[in-house]
Amino acid sequence: MRVGLFIPCYVDQFYPQVGIATLELLEKVGCTVVYPPDQTCCGQPMANSGFEHLTGQCTKLFIKNFNEFDYIVSPSGSCVLHIKEHSHETAGIHNKIYELVEFLTDILKIDRLDASFPYRVGLHQSCHGQRGLHLAQMSELMAPPFSKPARLLNMVQKIQLIDLDRKDECCGFGGTFCVAEEAVSVKMGKDRVADHAKHGAEVITGSDMSCLMHLEGILQRQKSPVKVKHIAEILNSTIE
Amino acid sequence: MSSSPNHKDHAALAAQFNKDEARVDWHDQTLWFVRAKRDRAAAQVPDWETLRDTASRIKDNVLSNLSEYLRQFEAAATRNGIIVHWAADAQEHNDIVLSILRDHSVDRMVKSKSMLTEECHLNEFLKDNGVEVVDTDLGERVVQLAGEPPSHIVLPCIHWKKEEIGQLFHKHLGTPEGNADPQFLTHAARLHLREKFLTRRAALTGVNFAVAETGEFVVCTNEGNADMGAHLADVHIACMGIEKLIPQRRHLGVFLRLLTRSATGQPITTYSSHFKRPRRGQEMHIVLVDNGRSTHLGRKDFRNSLKCIRCAACFNTCPVYRRSGGHSYHTAVAGPIGSILSPNLDMKQYSDLPFASTLCGSCSNVCPVKIDIHEQLYKWRQVIVQEGNAAASKTAAMKTMSWVLSNPGVYHTAGKTGRWFMLNVPFAVKNKWNSWYLQRELPEPPKQSFGQWYKKNRK
Amino acid sequence: MSSRDKILATVKNNQPGPRDLPPDYNSPAANAPDLTPQFINILEAIGGAAFLVSGYDRIATILHEQFPDARRILTSCPQLTAFAAGRTAAAALSAAEPGNPHSLETVDLAILPAHFGVAENGACWITESQMIERVLPFITQNLALIIPRNAIVATMHQAYDRIAALEAAANTSAAPPQAEGFATFIAGPSKTADIEQSLVLGAHGPRSLTVFLVDEHLSDAGFF
Repeated sequence: MRVGLFIPCYVDQFYPQVGIATLELLEKVGCTVVYPPDQTCCGQPMANSGFEHLTGQCTKLFIKNFNEFDYIVSPSGSCVLHIKEHSHETAGIHNKIYELVEFLTDILKIDRLDASFPYRVGLHQSCHGQRGLHLAQMSELMAPPFSKPARLLNMVQKIQLIDLDRKDECCGFGGTFCVAEEAVSVKMGKDRVADHAKHGAEVITGSDMSCLMHLEGILQRQKSPVKVKHIAEILNSTIE
Repeated sequence: MSSSPNHKDHAALAAQFNKDEARVDWHDQTLWFVRAKRDRAAAQVPDWETLRDTASRIKDNVLSNLSEYLRQFEAAATRNGIIVHWAADAQEHNDIVLSILRDHSVDRMVKSKSMLTEECHLNEFLKDNGVEVVDTDLGERVVQLAGEPPSHIVLPCIHWKKEEIGQLFHKHLGTPEGNADPQFLTHAARLHLREKFLTRRAALTGVNFAVAETGEFVVCTNEGNADMGAHLADVHIACMGIEKLIPQRRHLGVFLRLLTRSATGQPITTYSSHFKRPRRGQEMHIVLVDNGRSTHLGRKDFRNSLKCIRCAACFNTCPVYRRSGGHSYHTAVAGPIGSILSPNLDMKQYSDLPFASTLCGSCSNVCPVKIDIHEQLYKWRQVIVQEGNAAASKTAAMKTMSWVLSNPGVYHTAGKTGRWFMLNVPFAVKNKWNSWYLQRELPEPPKQSFGQWYKKNRK
Repeated sequence: MSSRDKILATVKNNQPGPRDLPPDYNSPAANAPDLTPQFINILEAIGGAAFLVSGYDRIATILHEQFPDARRILTSCPQLTAFAAGRTAAAALSAAEPGNPHSLETVDLAILPAHFGVAENGACWITESQMIERVLPFITQNLALIIPRNAIVATMHQAYDRIAALEAAANTSAAPPQAEGFATFIAGPSKTADIEQSLVLGAHGPRSLTVFLVDEHLSDAGFF
């Protein structure tokens, strides 16, 4: 199967290691992965700001780049959700685009990983992936619990997943919200960070680098030793 | 709440609210506690999700037959001896209430909770026309004495600390200075308001549900204030939005199981009073209010917000509401539901509200009638921008972004340039004009983008 | 065009396409063997008190103990009229002035029958004909309600079935009473948590609620 690798614009520019980890991980589990070089962005930042009507060209470019693949996989729940729900002309693509965790779980049906990450890790449930793509059960619903990211993380040797007081509260990034409503955005991020710190997290992980970028910004301003790592990096970590 | 061009928007008001971080923590934790109580209560109901779905479908049916149900309700209520009035807008609602009071030579009235009357600014209107209104819900009485609107539709003074309420009661009710004991203060309010119940000849209540089949309406309270007012008054005026109908009395079983569990985590309010006929010798009126609802009904993407039963579960779960407080929304009904209802009333004045959200989706999943709140927030953003309510600078920035992201070459250059500036001219982004940088570090710009790495290492 | 006509016309014009009602709802927990424990547990959790009793003598005894300071007691239960009158300070205060709800302001304890209870929320359904005056269950300082122990339903769905049955029976009875113009579910004493979420019992309505569950088959030894 040929997998088209879709790397969110800010991951491409600021967190290439996440793209590399995603690529290596997919290849490790047997995929033929291609990264179309002319990809740019899914269009979400504009759409969420009310400018969905300006995303047409961006979406056309996306289709042009990715239409040929059997699957499109991205290390970003919110980008994948946007393509599935808010970009209109991508009917064919809706059915074959997956966020990394759901691809590993539902399509590749991974049940073991050769990875090791001997740290106390807090899992941040990014909202779009969780409530939009159903990567994990949400606390609002009276329904049986499950978590695709936690299940994968638990396959990693020596990892210790910590509990949290609020398992699925939003981190406050929210796209342009992070600057348009800076005060609330930062307060939300600080509270998430405090929850992880309270439970002894050494690393905070998740499937959306945007959330982690926001939390990292706060951690670094606090001069905290806590690090952020995208889930792809943890699942791809090698055994020492 | 006039549409002054200088009124602050949610972001500015929320920033002000966040200046006192300890207070924000307190407000946030108090409301999270209510969310947690809701979760525990919902977990006790084995068929909770089915119940939500049932309520949602009943309300869908109501909206699709609203004109018929309104006629049916009017006929049944009239047969019951209730006088039915119709108000096209807030002004007409206020005029009707005033005229009923004047007919009875009433200049002092007690009122139990009605968000509709907040929406219509009834209290100010009556005051201007010589009628004293006493709000009898304890939380509403607190904010009334303080001269401000409620900040939450179910817990009106959730933003007030008990010491502050103690001070307020000391000033207005003569309680001892420094007494902040909730038991003591509540008892003082009990005595103070009991005198009002016993001496006012008119009582105004809200309506939680009106039943089309039987022409009755239901008022739910924990305090008993709606009943104390209504059963002692010569005139009982009930005010309701036209969307508050349900088709049959048996449907109350569904809604009464959902309402209070969603609102406060209690299995039911202390009182769920079913008003069908006036008391002998009493006049009972009901005012059916439109005020934009019939217009909203025609908006395909937004009409579902009319299913709302005003439980405020969405407020309690919203991480933004908890950290900004109801007054940051500068509208009668705040929170997530308010953010999708208010733009219908005045798009310009409330154009900021759909943006006061990260679209996390928590609200839609606690809503007992399954309103797609977070999706409507997204859709309102599109409408607001299309109607020309975005700042020119924002529109320009978005057009630029669209151009950059549609052209791979430009995108790559922009990315390279941006990273170069961040590395070599850090002050370009690490300054006080960059909102991101106020309280967060920026990510370290890497030497090469993923695209550049891939080209070098994989092609 | 009147506002009524305008509103109805706009609504009719704007209503979405037809959406059927869902089928009648039947809650799964309909047939638990004995609902008394659940009813009592929840009633106590919401601040009420419950007593399982064999009859009215027990009720009178318990109320005598629980409310030693009650000076004015009113009841619509013929079996307790003597008790109420005997405890009330001045004979003139025991009866309610018809059509003068304000005169009930000094009632310390009202003892009223209710039709049934609801196990899932500890509520009792009481209708106007049981109340003497509509305001009485609210204006009294303390309220006691009496229901047959076997008149407890599981959920609000069964409650409304029961209400429909009561209404049907009332409509066909030989001398139908004035159809009830007011009724209410009462779940516990009046309360508020408006001051910093601190629960306070006794807001504007009664400060206490006691529910007596009458079961003639009970012996008086070993009661709750």
